[in-house]
Amino acid sequence: MNDMSILVAGVIGLLGAGLYGLLAVRNLFQVIIALQVLVKAAVLALVMAGYASGNLALGQSLGVTVIVADTVVAVIGLALAVQVKRHLGTLDIKALATLRR
Amino acid sequence: MTQSIIIWLIWLPLAASPLIYLVGRISRRQWGYTSTARWVALAALAASWVPFVHAYRQFSAEGVLTYVYGSVALRLDGLSLLLAGVVLLLATLVTLYSNPYMAGEIGESKYYAMLAAISGVMIGLGCAADLFNLWLWFEAMAVTSYLLVAFYRDESAALEAGVKYLVQSAVGSVFVLMGVALVLAQTGTLDLAAVGTAVSTQFADSPLLLTAGALFVIGFGVKIAIVPMHTWLPDAHSQAPSGISAMLSGVVIEAGLVALLRSLSALAGVAAAWGELLIGFGVLNMVAGNLLALRQTQVKRLLAFSSLAHVGYMLLGLGVAIYAGNVAGAEGGFFHLISHGLMKGLAFLSAGALLYVLHTARGDHSPLTVSDLAGAAQRYPLVALVFSLALLGLGGLPPLVGFMSKWQIMAAGFATQNTVLYAIVAFAALNSVLSLAYYAPLVNMVYRRQPSTAVLAGQPVPFMMQIPLLLLAVGVVAIGFWPNLVNWLVQPAGAALLAAFGG
Repeated sequence: MNDMSILVAGVIGLLGAGLYGLLAVRNLFQVIIALQVLVKAAVLALVMAGYASGNLALGQSLGVTVIVADTVVAVIGLALAVQVKRHLGTLDIKALATLRR
Repeated sequence: MTQSIIIWLIWLPLAASPLIYLVGRISRRQWGYTSTARWVALAALAASWVPFVHAYRQFSAEGVLTYVYGSVALRLDGLSLLLAGVVLLLATLVTLYSNPYMAGEIGESKYYAMLAAISGVMIGLGCAADLFNLWLWFEAMAVTSYLLVAFYRDESAALEAGVKYLVQSAVGSVFVLMGVALVLAQTGTLDLAAVGTAVSTQFADSPLLLTAGALFVIGFGVKIAIVPMHTWLPDAHSQAPSGISAMLSGVVIEAGLVALLRSLSALAGVAAAWGELLIGFGVLNMVAGNLLALRQTQVKRLLAFSSLAHVGYMLLGLGVAIYAGNVAGAEGGFFHLISHGLMKGLAFLSAGALLYVLHTARGDHSPLTVSDLAGAAQRYPLVALVFSLALLGLGGLPPLVGFMSKWQIMAAGFATQNTVLYAIVAFAALNSVLSLAYYAPLVNMVYRRQPSTAVLAGQPVPFMMQIPLLLLAVGVVAIGFWPNLVNWLVQPAGAALLAAFGG
């Protein structure tokens, strides 16, 4: 096992865990955590891409930027979750399926 | 000569955003003025037209403008100008319109701050010159629009729409990032032009880059509402405040489309049929959008579904341009981008005006149903007229603008002399007829003789709300008669697209 294959395995593992989480969980907080796991796969992929192309500093700075941008998304998601809990009394995402197609 | 005009164009609305919030809040707390935020927002967006005009002049004199700061570059070409023009037009009119619509809402100053911010961010997205920068603007646009969609935070329907939109968009943006990582790993650069050169010289049949392209289509496709990634759109567009629905349908989807075109243009050299792919999705979007819109009973939901169909027309025109390298397709697609912005903006704003006078002004947040509209023309002749104009334009009736832009896309399809495309164009025309099946009953409903109870109990339409409606209606009719009026925006954009795809 060289460095590269460990990194690829990490990216795929995080991606799989995140997607599985999104499909499997029913609690809105857990959904947001699953999204976080998914984004971490992207961060790792960017760092790996920088490493693979011989420009590790670029990859790392992209990764840090993604973490910052992603925190904003998480904050908004949590704010929505707070409002959902306040108005519906539950965080179950099944309670959030009233709008019909 | 300095090229910092790009910075002014992006920075003015962005810098105004916190200012609008602070000034609005302080003046309300200290002196009890509630309307300051609206006027500051309107002034800021009106002022943004100055750098736009300067940027246009400089662009026509010098060609593509570039601004480099460190390793970050912003590039203003015809496509950026087109997007900036449509964004500024709709944002200014929506601000004017929201003046009475949002008056007295909780968090009104936040609304205007976010409206200015999303305008600046979309202009920036059009100017992004490298893939990561593009993603960053895209994410910033998404974040601002989450807040605007869930603006009525006491309505559980708005919260539901916000959550759906946030989750789907966030997954989409992870896909885009994966694509960016693949491009960086393979080519070692992120600059769109440099990636394009590297792809066509070294990596023409790299499976990694093909995967990256697919990831871009999926990731940006969520925002463009390409079927089957469209399920968030009807909820988000119908639950947002009406002015924001107009922005979301009129420019945010299109900004996603610009982002997709930019990212795919870098990968144009990969041995892949991007044009055919876009045409295929365009056809799918037309059918699904029209069929789903047929069975809607809420007006704003119906309009949201019709956006799916119209994205389909844009994809068809641009796909034809990329596939056959004909500039008419690109110009038709971008003309439809403008005309959809005008028509859908007008449709959402006039439906919003009716929603406001029939429900919202009385503190009732229930949705506007088709049956509420019955006989609306009796009490609101002007709003009924512009609403009907918008709907018939969307349905593609001549001589309105929607007919002209669809016509240009279809003519471009015929010009390719390709049998399959003949069939697709004929299919698109039939879809236009199908769409009248849900636009026409709405027009009929508005002009019924017997007003509904909601109309009888309705309030008068505020004067400030009628100004943007009238302006947009004039645009819908005038550009229908004289389509050359938008050539100054459409032609450079078409040329920029073909240049980027090497056609």
